[in-house]
Amino acid sequence: MRIKFDEQLALLNHELIAMGALCEEAIAATSRAVMVNDRSLGGRVRDLESQIDQKEREIETLCLKLLLQQQPVARDLRLISAALKMITDMERIGDQALDISDTAGFMGPLAEEDKGLLGDLARTVIGMVTDSVDAFVRQDKDFALAVVKRDDEADALFDQIKQSIIERLAQSRGGGEYALDLLMIAKYLERIGDHATNIAEWVEFAQTGLYKGGEVI
Amino acid sequence: MTKRIFRSVFLASLLVFLAGLALVVGALYSYFGSRQAEQLRVEASLAARAVEAGGEGYLEGLDGGEIRLTWIAADGSVIYDTDADAGVMENHAGREEFREALQYGSGEGERTSSTLGEKTVYYALRLSDGTVLRTAESHYTLPRLLMNIIQPLALILVLALLLSGWLASRLARRIVGPLNAVDLDHPLENEAYDELSPLLTRLERQQRQIGEQLDELERRKKEFAAITGSMSEGLILLDSQGLVMSINPSARAIFGVDGAGEGRDVLTVDRSSELRALLEKCAASGRAEAYISRGEREYLLTAGAVDTDGGKRGTVLLAVDVTEKRRAERLRREFTANVSHELKTPLHSIMGAAELLQSGLVKPEDRERFLARIRSEAGRLVGLVQDVINLSRLDEGEEFPREDTDLLELAREAAADVADEAARRGVKLSVSGGGGTVRGVRQLLWEIIWNLAENAVKYSKPEGGRADVEVDTLPDGRVRLRVSDDGVGIPREAQERVFERFYRVDKSHSRETGGTGLGLSIVKHAAQYHNASISLESEPGRGTSVTVTFESAGKGNGQP
Repeated sequence: MRIKFDEQLALLNHELIAMGALCEEAIAATSRAVMVNDRSLGGRVRDLESQIDQKEREIETLCLKLLLQQQPVARDLRLISAALKMITDMERIGDQALDISDTAGFMGPLAEEDKGLLGDLARTVIGMVTDSVDAFVRQDKDFALAVVKRDDEADALFDQIKQSIIERLAQSRGGGEYALDLLMIAKYLERIGDHATNIAEWVEFAQTGLYKGGEVI
Repeated sequence: MTKRIFRSVFLASLLVFLAGLALVVGALYSYFGSRQAEQLRVEASLAARAVEAGGEGYLEGLDGGEIRLTWIAADGSVIYDTDADAGVMENHAGREEFREALQYGSGEGERTSSTLGEKTVYYALRLSDGTVLRTAESHYTLPRLLMNIIQPLALILVLALLLSGWLASRLARRIVGPLNAVDLDHPLENEAYDELSPLLTRLERQQRQIGEQLDELERRKKEFAAITGSMSEGLILLDSQGLVMSINPSARAIFGVDGAGEGRDVLTVDRSSELRALLEKCAASGRAEAYISRGEREYLLTAGAVDTDGGKRGTVLLAVDVTEKRRAERLRREFTANVSHELKTPLHSIMGAAELLQSGLVKPEDRERFLARIRSEAGRLVGLVQDVINLSRLDEGEEFPREDTDLLELAREAAADVADEAARRGVKLSVSGGGGTVRGVRQLLWEIIWNLAENAVKYSKPEGGRADVEVDTLPDGRVRLRVSDDGVGIPREAQERVFERFYRVDKSHSRETGGTGLGLSIVKHAAQYHNASISLESEPGRGTSVTVTFESAGKGNGQP
């Protein structure tokens, strides 16, 4: 019984990393789509997003099966419940990556002056997603804490982008649609950063039993 | 075991004790019973004689004795009794012993009084006058007797319990002691019971087997670690669930794994989409390959499923560094393309000239010029083909006969060969130096000097430039060939690449200077063939100097 359980736990671990890797690819592809205005990447992101959705359902089923059939306790229970929460965030990352690539499709090429800040934001968020998956891979809570800290960076960058858009709109009329699309993309990226933070927090929970630095119950 | 032995011994001794006690008590009781009956008989016969002689007077003198005497008349009425008043006693005619005595002369009887817990034994004798004299004695019945001695009995029982308990525990410990003292690590060195020796022998044998197997396992593990540790390819072994069983140092370096990789999921090593796709493909078809790049290097990743007895046992991942191979492949492709291109250009030129000549469109005075061009282009082709042949022979690693060669003399010959060209360009070509002897292939050495000298002439300043060829023997015995010019020089970024095949610094002017683009490549290969080192110093606009240093004739340069 325990052997079967261990096998299923190993499978859960494997699938979670795979799903994390898919998220990394999706956000990397979508960022490239925005930065270099490459339409062909849209299809790739869509494909990745559906793969992520599928993985979410698979992992969800696996988690529920484990919970119902094996009645895990302590550390195992923490891992499984954290996994259930993490896949929700990962799935949202996939959705938002697709939203970004769709919006980028409407928006057209990125203006030269926006490349700097948006590039920074995209890099920060990609780094956060990678680090949150790495935190899970290494079961390293220091990694997880670092991701949580970087969220402030992403928020600050988003605020800067918002500020620059406001200033531009105040100076000239027109270009409103572009500005809104840009804001949306920035917002989506910022949200992805939040999801990465959530994932990191659940990694910490699975490891230590502490959620956001405190006991859950 | 101690407990069990203790319990057995204790119970056994207790049982034996109790049984012994019961037997002894039973035997004694019946013995005393019969002794008593005997005594009664003796007493009765003695008393009978006395009564017959002395009558009632004798009986009265006996009052208070242990034995009760009763004299009974023939009709059963009591004449006298030593213990009770005869007047109040009932008629004894119905008593068993009385009736027997009347009938047979003597009679016995016994009656038990359950209330008193006493048994009374009677013996009656008929006297000569027809009366009956009866003796009676009471003693306790067995239960009563036991009841009376219960206290000392219990004391004895307790003592016996304690004694047997103590003995049993000592015995148990004595028996088990040697068993506990058996040294299981060295079974044959024990002096325990003989009965244990088959077991111990077997134990010894199995222990030796296990030890040997462990040693073997350890040795194999070390061998495996040594082999995988020293190989440059990355090797990862996965079990059937995709957990890493073994990862060698090269694989750690390639995938950047720090800390323990073993026992964790393969995706913790690398989760790139290439690897995931590779593993999926491998799971489906049993074997898969993919190229991945990590950092500057490119790796060929081969995954093979390990199947035994139909079940999937795991996966072997092998990462081979193919950077050099891919580069060589690319160079070869480029070389083929370049050769074809270089061959095509003069051929086009020849074709064009020949067609014009054939169609008769060429004026007679131009015919010579056209023919000269065909000739020079054909010559160029021959030169190119010769260069390609030379290069491919060098590539093949063909062995050429070696001989001691005077490099300075060879340099003069080569200089004479390019002297015409030098004169045409107005370049002053000089050969100088102390000279030196190199053991090598004359033809190849000639190629080195000729190509370098030709380049120096071609790329020196036209009209007034100079090209110097120097051959010197260094103090340590090595021979140095230096060819320098004061021409255009080579830009820094191109200096690395000038030895590549068909590489030209200035592509647009290649036709002007002629040459095949293979010269320096041949120089490089020929120098390598002689184990010579090449260095190139150049400054754009100031000139170029190429130095080839040969090992001294005594060592090194004889071997390829």
